[in-house]
Amino acid sequence: MIKRVNFTGRRRIARHHVRIEVHNGRPATFNATIDLDGVQFPAGAKVYLELMSAGSSLVKRFDFGAAGAIVPPEDRRLTNLDPDRAFFALKVVDQSKRFGQILGIAENIRPDFADGEKDAATQGILPIVEAELGQQLWDIDFGEHNLCLRVNANVPGLVDRARWDPLFYAVVFPAVIRQVLDRAIRTNAEVDEASDKWPVLWLRFGKQLHPEQVTPPSGQEADEDRDDWIEAVVDAFCAKHALKDAFLKHLPRENGVES
Amino acid sequence: MILREFNSAGVEAFRMRLADCRENPAASAPWELLENESLTNIISPAVEVDAKHFASKLDAGKHLKDLLFKLDEQFVATSDGLWTWLALFFFDEICPAKGGHRHVKADYRYIFDPNTPRHYYQHSLFVSWRVITIEPNFNRLLLRANLATVDKVTAETMKRLYLTRIPCIFEVLERLYWDSARGRARKGIVTHGRAKPGDLLHRFPIRIRQLEMTYDLQSLNADQLIELLGNEFRQNRPAPVATDN
Repeated sequence: MIKRVNFTGRRRIARHHVRIEVHNGRPATFNATIDLDGVQFPAGAKVYLELMSAGSSLVKRFDFGAAGAIVPPEDRRLTNLDPDRAFFALKVVDQSKRFGQILGIAENIRPDFADGEKDAATQGILPIVEAELGQQLWDIDFGEHNLCLRVNANVPGLVDRARWDPLFYAVVFPAVIRQVLDRAIRTNAEVDEASDKWPVLWLRFGKQLHPEQVTPPSGQEADEDRDDWIEAVVDAFCAKHALKDAFLKHLPRENGVES
Repeated sequence: MILREFNSAGVEAFRMRLADCRENPAASAPWELLENESLTNIISPAVEVDAKHFASKLDAGKHLKDLLFKLDEQFVATSDGLWTWLALFFFDEICPAKGGHRHVKADYRYIFDPNTPRHYYQHSLFVSWRVITIEPNFNRLLLRANLATVDKVTAETMKRLYLTRIPCIFEVLERLYWDSARGRARKGIVTHGRAKPGDLLHRFPIRIRQLEMTYDLQSLNADQLIELLGNEFRQNRPAPVATDN
C-alpha cells in the first residue's frame, strides 16, 4: 500500500481546540473559543477564522490576533452568508516570510447553534433531498464539503420511499456506496484526518464496514485494489442489511400478490 | 415594469412553458407570467426594470449590478425566484428568436438553481452579475462572450468554488490567459485531451490545490500567486511587445 507523506510542514489542529457557536439574528453573529494550548506555534503566528458557506464563493476572514495572544475581533457578524450552510476553517499562518505559510489548520468546522434548533453536524453521511432531475430518478450531488442523495421531486413520495422502501434502497444504495467511495478514494483523503468532509466520513464508514477493517487504498493505487476494497465494503453493507431478503419480502406486496 | 420574483408555482409554470417552447420553437415567450399576481411577488424595496439589449455578459453584469444594488446581496445570490423571473424578463436576450424560432436550452440556463454546483453558474444572467460582483476589474476572460452562451473558460472557473474563493484569482487568470492581441482567451487553455503545461483546464486547478496545502492564498496578491504557480504558467503570459529602435 502506498504511504502518503505530508511534505507541507503544516499541522492538523484537532477539533477540540476550537468551538464556534452561532447566534441567530439579523444578522447572525458568532462566538469562537480557540485554545491552542499544547500545540506548538510561534507566538507571533497569525490566527484566522475563515467563514464560508456551501455553494458560495464568498470568504469572510476574521482576524483573531496571534497564536501567543488570541483576541477575537469585535465584528463577528455573518453577513451575506447563510448561517445554516456555514462552515469555518481555523488557520495559523506564518507571515514573517514573503509568502504567508500555513503552519496549522482545522477545516470544515461546523458551528453549534445557540438556540439548539439546528446543528448541521448531526446530519447523517447521506442526506436525502428532493431536486429537479428531469427523467432521472436519483443522482448524487458531490458538494465541496457535503454530499447528498438527490431524488426526483416530481415523483410523489420518493424522498420518503428512499428511506424505507427496499425496492428503492436495496437497488440504489449499493450503487451509491460504490460511486461515493470511488470518488472519496480519488480525493486522497485520510480516514484519520481531523475533518468532517464527506470523503473522510465515508472512508471511515467504509473501513468500519469492511470485513477486516482494512484501511482504504489511496487514489494512486491500482484500479483493481480500489475496486476490491469497495466491493468488500458494498458486500458487507448488503449482508448487514440483508438487502436481497428485504427486497424479496417487499416485492410480492408491490405486485399485489400476498406472500 | 416593477421587479418581481417568481414563487414556486411561478417557477414551475415557467418550466412548463420552456418545455412547450422546445416542442414548438415558434411559440411566443410566456410574457404574461411576468405580472401574474398568483405566480409572482413584488420585490421590496421596489426596483424599476426596463428592457435592454446586452452586447455581452459584461454589459449585462454591469446593468444587473446597478439594478440590484439596493437589495440584500445574500438574497440576490440565492434567490431562484428572482433570477428565474429576470430570465423571463430578458428572455429575448438570453434566448433570442432567430427566424422566428427560439432554441431553448436546458432548464438551468433560465431557472436558477443556486444549490447545484453543476448548474448555478450556467444561468447566464446570474453568472454575469456574480462575476462582476466578485471582481469588478479583471473579468474580461469570463464576461467577454455573449449572453446566450456559457463558454468553457467560465464553466471551468466557476464550477470550482475553491478557485473563486481566492481574492486575486480573476486577476491571475486574466494575466495568464487573456490574449490582448486577439481580444479573447488564449488558444488551447481549455482543450480536452492531454494536459498541456500551464493550461487552465487541467494544470491550473491541480497547481492551486497543491499551493493551498502550503500557502495562505487568501493573503496573496496576483504577483505573488503567479510567482508561486511557477515556470510552466509563465509561458502563458504574453511576451513583451517588440519595438523598432
